[in-house]
Amino acid sequence: MKLLTWEGESTAGLWPRAAALLGRQALETSLRRLWTLKAPGVEECSWQAQLLVLPAFLGDEQLAEDAAHAWSALTRATHHHAYELPPTQEELARWLSDVQRTIHKVDTLTN
Amino acid sequence: MDESLQLAVHKELAESGVLDEDWSVLVIAACEDAGMVEDVLGGSAAPAPPLEEAAELRPKGAYLGPLTVQGFRGIGDEVTVDLQPGPGLTLVVGRNGSGKSSFAEALEVLFTGDSKRWATRTKVWKEGWRNLHHARAAQVQAHVFIDGRPSPTVAKRQWADEAALEESTATVKAPSKSPAGLEALEWTEALTAYRPFLSYNELGSMLEGGPSQLYDALAPILGLEDISLAQKALAVARQSRENLRKQAKNDLLPLLEKLRETSEGTNDERARACLDALGEGQAWDLEVLESQLVGGPKDPGAGQQISILQQIATLVAPNPAQIKDASTSLRNAVANVEAVAGTETERASETASILEEVLAFHAAHGDGDCPVCGSADALGAGWRTRSEAQLGELRQAAQAADRAHEELRSAITVARDLIHAPPAALPWCDEVGLDGAPAAQAWGEWAKGKGLQNAPALAAHLEDTAPALCSAVEELKKRAADEAERLQDAWRPVALELTEWLGEAREAERARANVPLIASAEKWLKKAENKFRTERFGPIRDQVIELWKLLRQQSNVRLEDVTLTGSATRRAVDVAITIDGADGSALGVMSQGELHALALSLFLPRATLPQSPFRFLVIDDPVQSMDPSRVDGLARVLEKVARDRQVIVFTHDDRLPEAVRRLNIPATVLGVTRRENSVIEIRTSQDPVTRSLKDARSLAATQELPANVARRVVPGFCRAALEAAFIRMIRTRRLAKGIAHADVEDAINESTTLTTLAALALFDDKGRGGDVMTHFNNKYGGWAWDVFMRCKEGPHQGFGGNLHDLVNGTENLARKLLVT
Repeated sequence: MKLLTWEGESTAGLWPRAAALLGRQALETSLRRLWTLKAPGVEECSWQAQLLVLPAFLGDEQLAEDAAHAWSALTRATHHHAYELPPTQEELARWLSDVQRTIHKVDTLTN
Repeated sequence: MDESLQLAVHKELAESGVLDEDWSVLVIAACEDAGMVEDVLGGSAAPAPPLEEAAELRPKGAYLGPLTVQGFRGIGDEVTVDLQPGPGLTLVVGRNGSGKSSFAEALEVLFTGDSKRWATRTKVWKEGWRNLHHARAAQVQAHVFIDGRPSPTVAKRQWADEAALEESTATVKAPSKSPAGLEALEWTEALTAYRPFLSYNELGSMLEGGPSQLYDALAPILGLEDISLAQKALAVARQSRENLRKQAKNDLLPLLEKLRETSEGTNDERARACLDALGEGQAWDLEVLESQLVGGPKDPGAGQQISILQQIATLVAPNPAQIKDASTSLRNAVANVEAVAGTETERASETASILEEVLAFHAAHGDGDCPVCGSADALGAGWRTRSEAQLGELRQAAQAADRAHEELRSAITVARDLIHAPPAALPWCDEVGLDGAPAAQAWGEWAKGKGLQNAPALAAHLEDTAPALCSAVEELKKRAADEAERLQDAWRPVALELTEWLGEAREAERARANVPLIASAEKWLKKAENKFRTERFGPIRDQVIELWKLLRQQSNVRLEDVTLTGSATRRAVDVAITIDGADGSALGVMSQGELHALALSLFLPRATLPQSPFRFLVIDDPVQSMDPSRVDGLARVLEKVARDRQVIVFTHDDRLPEAVRRLNIPATVLGVTRRENSVIEIRTSQDPVTRSLKDARSLAATQELPANVARRVVPGFCRAALEAAFIRMIRTRRLAKGIAHADVEDAINESTTLTTLAALALFDDKGRGGDVMTHFNNKYGGWAWDVFMRCKEGPHQGFGGNLHDLVNGTENLARKLLVT
């Protein structure tokens, strides 16, 4: 939830990777909560497996797909890759908004 | 002009309220052809109004099926790329030199006879197209699935041994038709307008070619070329008319010079009048010109000078012979009268009068005394007889005297009638430069005789004044005739030329009257073209901007607007951008990768317009020069396009397939490898069926996954694999039968359960779900039905059995289904 405060700030060169890292962590935390309540045990699996399973539990296939995309994009952004530039603010904002929507959906499922 | 465009023009004419303008018919005529414009201007024809509602022609859509290539470029022995007809994304992946681009080129050459990327290459390069490792003739062949054709159409291009690239023959074999030329596909125009082949090189060159080349590449999709033709027809009509006037003006120059010479040389007033009528900087007064050319007495004011000269030259002077006769008659008559004057004859006349009266008295009162002298009984029968005889004698004598007097009177009349007042033309001599004074003076002297009563004086006047008059008038007449002749000699050739020119000028003026009409029609048509262009380009523009948003990714360039502007040499595509919010003028500031993304944004919409017959799109190497990590945007774009188009992408590295896998985009990935001697192998490394199976298998193998979750999720992926297999079967079957592509997709989308999809795939009838079990049992055995049911119900109820077995069973079933 601290993500929003990160979105607008573009002063430090580190911010995109930091925001990506925090965004991914928020998504993972939310998913862990979902598994604990709805399908205990899934949280033990690899993230790839968890994201494959997600459509069956989230109740919104498109959102599950967006979440999977956001997760892999954020993961790429958190690592330094040779020849690769950090994401733009706009891209980052879109992935983070997908993450937010997913978290919101998980909240409605688990509360 | 095609009917729908004609109708659009007509509607626009009506809506803009100009249908009543007299030039609107020219717009309609121009939409027909240039000949009709002339016919309408000439009044010999009127254009037919366009049909009420032109039927919109939906092209018959086409997908590509298997592509077979041999002996072409990097490909040696025959090899087939198993393209699946129908919408979806197919990636053909191979290292540089693996031959995958040869497939893209082969497709392009097959249908266009040429490849854009070769167009600028050298001859040596072009000659190297033939594969070195292949002895047999080069050949490219593709199956084309066309709406409404009961089975695929085969398009084939072949080269004889040693033949050059251009020397190929292409044939098209449609079902139940004999082979025909490539034109039987009716794609010639569409291949330019909606070009379904996009290669990296071509996209780059599109933007390098400048705004007008870009315009030429985009404008045909708007279908407005015919409006340009109509504009051209009007412009030609207008220019030809303006040229007539220019020609007449040029032709007039030497004539004006001649007129000036004539005017100065002979002082001919006709020349001056013509100069005034045709003077520079004013409209020609052709009426005045004509009156000068045909002028004469009937046109007062016109050619007065020559007319005066002619009148003077034909003056009637008194005839000397007549004058002599008249004076002789006068003198004779005078002599005769003098001869009878004071003689018996005069008295006799009076005596006869008295006798006549007395005889009348006697006849009334009878015999009696003389009433004059009173002598008794003087009047009696004897007296009467004597008197009557005496009266006869007296009368004869009196008549001679009367005749002499009568003759004198008539001689005077004749003489005086010879004398006229001076003719009206005589005083005009000054005006035409003749000295009329001697003649006028002589005539004045002569005219004085008119009042003379005295016959001898009259005769003397005639004899005295006539000779001077005659000689003066004759002299004057001769001089006038000479002057007239001189003027006419100078004028005649000029007049002749002017008459000829007059016809030309009249035609030019008539033609010129139409110029404002044509110009109005042109102006309106240009405005209409701009309007149509904006209207028709609007949806494409929106797509371009949308695509750019997806593709730009890293770029800070925002595409604000794309417009087609201008015409003829100033035609251009205007690409308005902002960079971090500041206005920029497009192409100059973009990087190579951005330009390429922009070109893709511009040309993908062109290739996917609804009016294009191509339901397929071939993109070669779109990833080149793209930012390594920014291929995601491209993958998303391709996913979007592939929803209702067959998108075939050839790419040389793994970035795009990787993005497609990572983003979970449904796609078929074909790997191309090249062995020695150009032997090409293609294997399917991924398609929607294998991808689902792969996901299912990886989940089934995930030890940590709780069993209750795995029981639900793994059958879901198995089910997705079967669905993908069924959909592929349905598409292949239905498209091959020529069923409209949209209908096929509708049928698939409407089949919401696995059973209806299966029925549609197996029996082409979604109502036969009940027969699926029997079919599976008979054809494959009981296991197939078990797998089917588990895939159907597992995702809902969970599947308690061995998940690995289920995945294997599903794979087995899917393979068997797709083989048949």
